[in-house]
Amino acid sequence: MLKSDWKRHFGLRDAGVYYALILLMVILGVVTFLVGRPSYFSATNITNILYQSSMIAMMGVAMTVILITGNFDLSVGSVAALGAAVSVGLAGPLGFPAAALVALLCCASVGIMNGTIVQLVGINAFIVTLGSLTAIRGLVLILTNGRSLIVSTPEAKAQMVVFEGGKVPIQMFLIVVGIAFIVWFGIKLMRARASGTEYGPSVPGGIIGGAVLLVIALVAGPELSVAKPVIYTGLFTLIVWLVLSFTTTGRRVYAVGGNAVAARLSGVNVGAYKMAGFIVSSSAAGFAGIMFGARLGAVNPTALQGAELTVIASAILGGTSLFGGAGSVVKTLVGALLLFTLTNGFNILNLGANYQGLIEGTVVIAAAAIYTVGGKAKKKATA
Amino acid sequence: MVVRSSTHGEPSLLGLEDIHLTFPNGTVALRGVDFVAHAGRVHGLLGANGAGKSTLIKVLCASIPATQGRIVWRGEEVSFRTPFEANQAGIATIHQNIPLIPTLSVQENVFMWKRGGLRHNPDDRRQLHMLCQEIGYEVDPDDLISDLSIGARQMVCILQALSLGADLILMDEPTASLAKEEREIVYATVRRLAEQGKGIIFVSHFLDEIMALTDEVTVLRDGKVVMYSETHATSEEQVAEAIAGKTIAALDHLKTQRGTIRDEAVLECRNLASPAGLAPMDFTIHAGEVVGIAGLLGSGRSEFMHAVFGSDKQATGEVVLDGKRMRRNPGQSVREGLALIPEDRDQQAIVPVFEIWKNNSLPYLTKTALRGIVVQEDTEREWAEEAIRILNIKAEGPDDLVTELSGGNAQKVTVARWLFGDIKVLLMDEPTAGIDVGAKADILTLVRKLASEGKAVVIVSSEFEEMLTVADRILVMRDGAVVAERPAADCDDQELILLASGKGKNGNGRSVPHRTEQEGETHAQV
Repeated sequence: MLKSDWKRHFGLRDAGVYYALILLMVILGVVTFLVGRPSYFSATNITNILYQSSMIAMMGVAMTVILITGNFDLSVGSVAALGAAVSVGLAGPLGFPAAALVALLCCASVGIMNGTIVQLVGINAFIVTLGSLTAIRGLVLILTNGRSLIVSTPEAKAQMVVFEGGKVPIQMFLIVVGIAFIVWFGIKLMRARASGTEYGPSVPGGIIGGAVLLVIALVAGPELSVAKPVIYTGLFTLIVWLVLSFTTTGRRVYAVGGNAVAARLSGVNVGAYKMAGFIVSSSAAGFAGIMFGARLGAVNPTALQGAELTVIASAILGGTSLFGGAGSVVKTLVGALLLFTLTNGFNILNLGANYQGLIEGTVVIAAAAIYTVGGKAKKKATA
Repeated sequence: MVVRSSTHGEPSLLGLEDIHLTFPNGTVALRGVDFVAHAGRVHGLLGANGAGKSTLIKVLCASIPATQGRIVWRGEEVSFRTPFEANQAGIATIHQNIPLIPTLSVQENVFMWKRGGLRHNPDDRRQLHMLCQEIGYEVDPDDLISDLSIGARQMVCILQALSLGADLILMDEPTASLAKEEREIVYATVRRLAEQGKGIIFVSHFLDEIMALTDEVTVLRDGKVVMYSETHATSEEQVAEAIAGKTIAALDHLKTQRGTIRDEAVLECRNLASPAGLAPMDFTIHAGEVVGIAGLLGSGRSEFMHAVFGSDKQATGEVVLDGKRMRRNPGQSVREGLALIPEDRDQQAIVPVFEIWKNNSLPYLTKTALRGIVVQEDTEREWAEEAIRILNIKAEGPDDLVTELSGGNAQKVTVARWLFGDIKVLLMDEPTAGIDVGAKADILTLVRKLASEGKAVVIVSSEFEEMLTVADRILVMRDGAVVAERPAADCDDQELILLASGKGKNGNGRSVPHRTEQEGETHAQV
């Protein structure tokens, strides 16, 4: 049988972000239909939202990991800009793949530096990464000499287009993944039913998720295709989700954030896990920056300023705890989609962009209020 | 030693009549409780973990409203809406986890409730001085709370209650985390307050102090009053029976299970020391042996445990487990068969967001997982079910959050998790602190069972009597060093108390003044 507290799993607190996204999509769909604007539910529009949100979503997923370990990373916007600057700047001389690799290593080493200062010196992560937010942005200004960088050779530009541009048809992929989810979790459900044991929210969640993917694939048809950054973000999220949900490593990530002392006294190498959180966060930011640089073949030194706030907002919308020990990368992904759907809605309805910030901020606070008020009694770690 | 108020003629201060309380989630915590507190009398409130004690206290101090029933304060029916209203009326509560602000001074904390604007009010200082004289306890008003011992903080809470002019003082396990001598100060204060006509409600797990200190006792079980009596008309056994709901098989039978010690030394420590407060010491324990460590708070007992386990990185000296030298790394310790149940359950042992099964499999997670990588929730749930069965944990199932369990049952989870690996040495730091009689019995029985299976157990406890029932050998620690060693069979808790508090005839007689000794003297003046 389903665990007795299933009401909670489908309650506002645990599933609110899904409902919010669905609600928003329905509203936008109806409104666009009524006022005769181009339909919100067009494949072009949806894939656009996915493309626009992919960078922030990737950083948000990594941010969720570091938040779960009980730390914080404010520097992701600057680190992404560093990744973009290094990869664009070196793409001419080294070729894009080598330049991207160097950029990724630079960003990872910022993570190592952040983590080392937090772990060894014992300064609060908020303060350390607030410092590196400013310092790394300064480094980007030095590297670019305050001017926009443009990729210097056509070969490198071509390699960037291969990496970032073009669309990938995903109908078959979605069908395969959707069926795999339904079969896998269906078997789990059958087994649990047969043996009368309890099962967690991931089982019905997995089946619903699989069904949603199938429906999307069948409705959108064979021309359904998405940009490569969406694929990268999707794969990254899938991997992180698998690790967090199904491996001992993932469990320990939650344990470290839930109670570091208890984890340490149970033999978990707490320092290594916390350090890994910083490295994952910075590396993902670096990768997002590389995508950003490749998109334009150029980078401007103030690029992605303030992106960290959108990233953190996505994680909070997804219900990630700022105190560690709880959070879900899938929900963060949905949180990012929610934010970009809002933006998209403003554009498509031609509403003043001036209202956008006000509405987005209100949504974030409302979400946090729901998480805080709607379920004080219980909170559990779910991946 | 007990000052009892004369007769039963004192006016009743607070009366609860037929109090029911059902939580929104459907849990019935109180089912018709009647309770009366009289001026000038100490009323002991007892009950096992989960019996409804804490809930009743919350109703008494108005932090949660009763679903049904009457509350009568000085003869008038009242319904306080907030704890502050109850305070104003004259009911002060001293909670178990002391809600003082560590970065402020004693004086500022005592008068925290005041709404005045001045931070350093000379009147406050005068009043604080008077209150101190009233209860015969000296404290520097400018000391920071963070610099005080737990015992002294408890006294600050009492001063705070008195500064409010409270006539009824509710004390929720005020002595649970105190060393013996700090307790004596609290006892003396309670007696003095009762003499002055205050009503006291005293919640405790310690039967001996209830018997010595109170005038009347109420025992709760399953949200109902199962016993009410004048203290002098009852006995420790009767109270214990009421708490447990059955005659507790005395733990004395555990003594007959001694003698499983084997020849091979399983753990050897040489020159083990720590700057945290442990003088160099040698220590050896054999397979099947249970060693008790008797010592007061701050005696170096926990420091010793952490030095052995390897969680104290600054420790020096050698720890050899089964012939293998340990590297001071908790991960290696766990893999090689060392286990530590730390002193502070909530801060050091439990992951609050985790269910029982996740907490249970934390140390040996790799063993449950496929190839050590992919977690197998079914296996983990089976382990948790086994843990629930072995230690008789009261929970609906493995999916309960540990934070939803009562203290004793949560403690059992922290013990049970070590039963699933090949432990060689189990280090238990205060495994029975603040838990009820039944849970204690379950844990101590398990200790003897582990010893008979050839495991070595080191157990630290403030309750020397219960340690004597399970241990083969007792080490007495004081000031970070071992001051005496005794076979458990021929010593008693009196002797251990004397040795541990530095009054024994053959403690190594260190003349350095020690905090607990100073407080002991303070008590002597009382």
